[in-house]
Amino acid sequence: MAKYQELDAVLVALADPTRRGVVRRLGEGPASVGDLAGAFPITLPSFLKHVRTLESAGLIRTAKTGRVRTCVLNRERLAVVEDWLAEQRSVWEQRTDRLERFVTEEE
Amino acid sequence: MNPELDLSLQRVIRAPRAKIWQAWTDPGKFAQWYLPAPAVCRVDRLEVRPGGGLVTRMSEDGVTFVPHMDAVFLLAEELERIVFTNTIDSSWRPADAHPVPLTAEITLAEHPEGTDYRVLVRHGDPAARKRHEDMGFSDGWGAVTDQLARAVAEPAGPASR
Repeated sequence: MAKYQELDAVLVALADPTRRGVVRRLGEGPASVGDLAGAFPITLPSFLKHVRTLESAGLIRTAKTGRVRTCVLNRERLAVVEDWLAEQRSVWEQRTDRLERFVTEEE
Repeated sequence: MNPELDLSLQRVIRAPRAKIWQAWTDPGKFAQWYLPAPAVCRVDRLEVRPGGGLVTRMSEDGVTFVPHMDAVFLLAEELERIVFTNTIDSSWRPADAHPVPLTAEITLAEHPEGTDYRVLVRHGDPAARKRHEDMGFSDGWGAVTDQLARAVAEPAGPASR
């Protein structure tokens, strides 16, 4: 059951476009909260809430050095989803795309 | 439907049901769309009836073919619904399905613009899957992080064939 909750928290965290944007950005490497926040048209408090959601889902880790809080993507956690539904969804979505093209282009 | 284990997708396809049914039931047609290019799909068995086999092979280079699917149809209602599972193989032997044990349900319904096409894929318990990973059967575990990040950050768009 714990595993379900784990997956659930990750899926909920990834259900928001801002949080997915943060995950994508951190896929390129660690970044400070300040730098990340600058890329999104929302207030800092709202953005920090997203960061906390990502952190509590275990998708990112944050560490404070002086005044700067740095965020790092937790690859393993992302793999929980990637390995499950995201990967399967993309397989079926793309399969359906191909079927759609096949039946609509076929003479 | 269990949102933690299942995935569903719904699409309006601008083609009549009969055409989609053919794409699913005619081996020559099925092979043309089921796998993403450049992989080549070869259909050994496509017996769309309850208890019928679904056996495919795939090839990366068009020369060497390896087993791909060995599954069984649970249900087939012409023009309406197809259900198959890979947890039982085409000889009705319980199978340790890789990479993911699943039951796929394909539903076709009339729609003013063509066909209301739905897919519901039911998966097993992630804990069972986790054991396989621990035993070293994982695939996709070692994917590159930025690819991973892109995969979850952007919904799958139209695939390049």
